[in-house]
Amino acid sequence: MASEGITILCVDDEQVPRTLRKLVLQKQGYNVVTAASGKEALALLDEGGITLVLSDQLMPGMSGTELTKIIKADWPATPVILLSGVNEMPEGATCADRFVSKVEGPEILFQAVAEVLQEHGYIFEKNT
Amino acid sequence: MIDHDQANILMVDDQPGKLVSYEAILGPLGENLIKARSAREALDHLLHHDVAVVLMDVSMPEIDGFELADMMRQHPRFQKTAIIFISAVHLTDLDRIKGYQSGAVDYISVPVVPELLRAKVSVFSELHRKTRQLQRLNLDLEKRVEERTEQLRKSEEQLQERVAELEAIMQVLPVGVAVLQDREGRVITANAALTNLLGAMPGEALSTDVNAIKSASFEIYEKGRRLENENNPLLQSARTGQQLGSLELEIRRPHGDPAYLLASASPLFDHTGKVRGSVGAFIDVTGRKHLEDLLRERAELLELATEAIMVRDLNGVLRYWNAGAEALYGWRREEIIGKSIHSILQTRFPMGFLTVQAELARTGSWSGNLTQFTREGHEIVVACRKALKAGGDAILEINRDITGQLRAEDALRKTERLAAMGRVAGIIAHEINNPLEAITNTFYLLRDHPSLDEEARYYAQLGEEELRRVAHITRQTLGFYRESKRPVEVSISALLDEILELQTRRMEFKNIVLDKRYRSSGSVHGFPVELKQVFLNLIGNAVQAMPDGGRLHLHVFETSRRTSQGAGVCISICDTGTGIDAEHAKHLFEPFFTTKATKGTGLGLWISKGIIQKYGGSIRFRSVSLAGGKITCFQVFLPNTDLEKLEISGIVPSEEVRVPTAAGVSNGL
Repeated sequence: MASEGITILCVDDEQVPRTLRKLVLQKQGYNVVTAASGKEALALLDEGGITLVLSDQLMPGMSGTELTKIIKADWPATPVILLSGVNEMPEGATCADRFVSKVEGPEILFQAVAEVLQEHGYIFEKNT
Repeated sequence: MIDHDQANILMVDDQPGKLVSYEAILGPLGENLIKARSAREALDHLLHHDVAVVLMDVSMPEIDGFELADMMRQHPRFQKTAIIFISAVHLTDLDRIKGYQSGAVDYISVPVVPELLRAKVSVFSELHRKTRQLQRLNLDLEKRVEERTEQLRKSEEQLQERVAELEAIMQVLPVGVAVLQDREGRVITANAALTNLLGAMPGEALSTDVNAIKSASFEIYEKGRRLENENNPLLQSARTGQQLGSLELEIRRPHGDPAYLLASASPLFDHTGKVRGSVGAFIDVTGRKHLEDLLRERAELLELATEAIMVRDLNGVLRYWNAGAEALYGWRREEIIGKSIHSILQTRFPMGFLTVQAELARTGSWSGNLTQFTREGHEIVVACRKALKAGGDAILEINRDITGQLRAEDALRKTERLAAMGRVAGIIAHEINNPLEAITNTFYLLRDHPSLDEEARYYAQLGEEELRRVAHITRQTLGFYRESKRPVEVSISALLDEILELQTRRMEFKNIVLDKRYRSSGSVHGFPVELKQVFLNLIGNAVQAMPDGGRLHLHVFETSRRTSQGAGVCISICDTGTGIDAEHAKHLFEPFFTTKATKGTGLGLWISKGIIQKYGGSIRFRSVSLAGGKITCFQVFLPNTDLEKLEISGIVPSEEVRVPTAAGVSNGL
């Protein structure tokens, strides 16, 4: 699949949603690794091989926005998509490449991922 | 002939025979004849009777005639009593003189000639009678003079009393009175009230004489101009002989405030009808003038008030209506004074009218909010304060329009409620959205899962569809956010279809027939959520306006550059519902305006208009009544947008609140 070779780091403190999101993205053809906190995510980023980070906004400890700021500083080439259950765009969320509501459903999420990847120079066929 | 008073004739002789003969001689005279036998007896008779003539014998024993005459003459009462001596002895001249000297009047010698005696006695009797008459007359006269004198004295006394009374009246009169005694104004008498009014000292000269005037301590002004002395009302009246009516004069006194007088004057005439002076009356109107000034001041103050101020009697009949009331209610005072305000203003009290009246009677005042109608028919709410006028024959009322204030307070309450709702919604959204995502993802994974048979896949599909509705609801009702930072191409017709899909059930249920005419896909650049918000609102309103069914027309067409609006997309949404009252029309796009009572927030059209204006577009409406019913059309125009411009205004600050609170919306739009 066109999305092969692309690894998405999925960050969320809640296990079930995290797992389901991972499955959905895998079904779309992406490689997915998961982290339960910002700290874990940064450790995985250190190991390398992460194409894109998809993080929940509201997490205990490090918030999605805080994580994004660190990534943008240390891995400026790695795009970040923030995902949130709240309808308001949180302060500082504009530092991410996209801010997507959880209620928009998987298709919108895929679209956002694809757009962001395209913007970062990853060429791949649009998969509907 | 005895037709006169009988005169007493005293006959004195010691010889009774002679007395008898005299009696016989004098009898025919008809006088009263008194006989005396001696001088002593004669004197006794004299003392008891008013004797006219004494006929006496000269030679009598003891006291003779001369001696008796002497004695008589010594007595003042008898000095003038006529005496006729009868003598046979002394007939010499000497004797006669002696007789005369002793006051005798006549002699008769013996022998007595009866006719002579009778004649002489008769003369004396007559003389006596005349003398007596004269005396009586004199006495009478004197008495009359005395009576007259007494009368004069009495009337003089009465006159003095009257004068004193008048003087006293003049002094105690509260009205100033002055009398001009000459035509030159040299002598003026004034009462205490007038000197007091003029501020002059008691006894100070009020004279207007050139020489005396220098000392006058007051000045007279008429209509603000100094009045020359010769023109003061007293002198004017004296000069012209005319009566002068009420002149308003101002008296400037050396000390204290000026006094205001109402003066009138009347000329005085002498017995020939010539003017000799004048009299004037001066009423102090200073108090009244001050009161008038005060009233005028208060009246002007009342006119300045923006509150409606009115006075009415206990039946509600209006007596006073200020400018504030004219402005508030639209009724001019000449139209409303004398009428009952309750019926004109259609006042509704917050409690029974009788309760209000009872409280007013008991405490003298009442305050509360009233609902009334202006002349134009607008319903207004006023904060009313009523007070019973002292005397209890009228009610004073001040009303302040608080319609706007109440609306603002109401709006604030709604805003606060919405803000609270927004906060709650945010929390709920988060709580719902998290599991919602998980379930949505689960159904996505189930979709086309190889282990599912046809039936299970169908169930999963149904579940996913319903889940989409849940997601839609949380998006629409719990708030909205912009999924994209950049405007995208939006097809209005697709957007409308999406909205219609949500409304399908309601429309079917309500018997609403859809008439859809898309002449264009209506492509614009923008943010789909915002545009969806606008059309969801308009279509939602249209559906709500047709509770008993009707037709919903949706037209989408493009306008060319040549039209007045320019190139763009036109969307019209028409319904055959309840229509829009002209009254409501002008408030339609105001925030918190709603006709749906408790159902709506009153923000929908306001937000929609804000969004459309942001796109450079316009929203208009028309509501017309036709024979078949009413048609209400909203037309939205969206121009072919300048992308760059929209993008700039579209990128919103991160603190933007997406929950439709008043504050958030006004920030966002």
